[in-house]
Amino acid sequence: MSETGAPRDPQAGNAFAHASEAEFAHILDFYQVAWEYEPQVFPILWDLDGNVLESFAPDFFLPDLDLFVELTTLQQHLVRKKNRKVRRMRELYPNLRIKLFYARDFRALMLKYGRSALVSELSGALGQVGPHQNQDAGVEMAGSGGPAVGRPLDLSTPDSAALDTVGSHDRRSRGARRRAVRRAAAAYAPNSTAT
Amino acid sequence: MKHSQDLNEDVAEILLSEDQIRLKVAEIGKRISADYAGRELTLVSVLKGSLPFMADLMRQIELPLRIDLMEVSSYGGTSTESSGLVRILKDLSAPIDGRDVLLVEDIIDTGLTLNYLLRYLRGKNPKSIRVCSLLDKPARRLVEIPIDYVGFEIPDAFVVGYGLDFGEVYRNLRFVGVLRPEAYES
Repeated sequence: MSETGAPRDPQAGNAFAHASEAEFAHILDFYQVAWEYEPQVFPILWDLDGNVLESFAPDFFLPDLDLFVELTTLQQHLVRKKNRKVRRMRELYPNLRIKLFYARDFRALMLKYGRSALVSELSGALGQVGPHQNQDAGVEMAGSGGPAVGRPLDLSTPDSAALDTVGSHDRRSRGARRRAVRRAAAAYAPNSTAT
Repeated sequence: MKHSQDLNEDVAEILLSEDQIRLKVAEIGKRISADYAGRELTLVSVLKGSLPFMADLMRQIELPLRIDLMEVSSYGGTSTESSGLVRILKDLSAPIDGRDVLLVEDIIDTGLTLNYLLRYLRGKNPKSIRVCSLLDKPARRLVEIPIDYVGFEIPDAFVVGYGLDFGEVYRNLRFVGVLRPEAYES
């Protein structure tokens, strides 16, 4: 189920995967820019039978600006994975506009608003909402000092368990995610099919 | 925040010299004078950063014009403020309905403030509204808004001077410079 924003208190729902996302929602609310949090999941990789192997759920959609925004305040090895997914999404859905906000962008935004003291606590693993929430499947959590909580890709059930959203856990049920994938696939016909 | 007594020491690099700025402002003034010839122009400066630019620009425009000032609250500060909404701290002094309005900004990065201001000003029924910004930092843009007059497109660095501040300091530098990280990192 998507959440639709503005005006609302993003902290009230406590539904964000990362503290930086909550802060970003605060900024959008402040400037009265409508937002939706992870409203759609876009398939980006299929198997030969057309089953979705990998998908991408941008953090925010700004409907008035027709823009998706993905925040990545994580460490570089996780950023590379996000970059790859964003590239893939741009190839498949060229009509969609997506802006990737890197850690340096977020840091600059906080600096601009005089909130530089918050940067360290809103970035990287420190900004994770809870230890149960995994990063990309099979990837070690940045700075956690331990193995990843994420799960490996399960290729035997490509249309559900293997759905791998970028950089965050997904609070929706598998059924809801499946429905979101189907909606996105129907709404945005990709240029090409499975590779 | 700790700044040096000599503010120049906190600047890592001069991005735009006083001369570069002066020439560019003259160039923009000339273009505006030509574009608005025979029309009634109101320059609206967004406080506080655009004050030096506004003061220099208006003297390079060879047209009868009015000026007005606006100030909006910025995100940040106390946690109370951050949970609120952007507010007009200082509104226009005179109506702008039926007038050609040129919004004068110091810098546009995310475009969030500008987006809000344009929506607000359009509600006051001006004949036209355009945007003039001394600096444009497109790498940070979230809201794509056409900027009619741009002085300089600048790289993704934290800049101060010629109206731009950090913690309300550095606005009086005559140039635009990149702030040393030591000046803003605690």
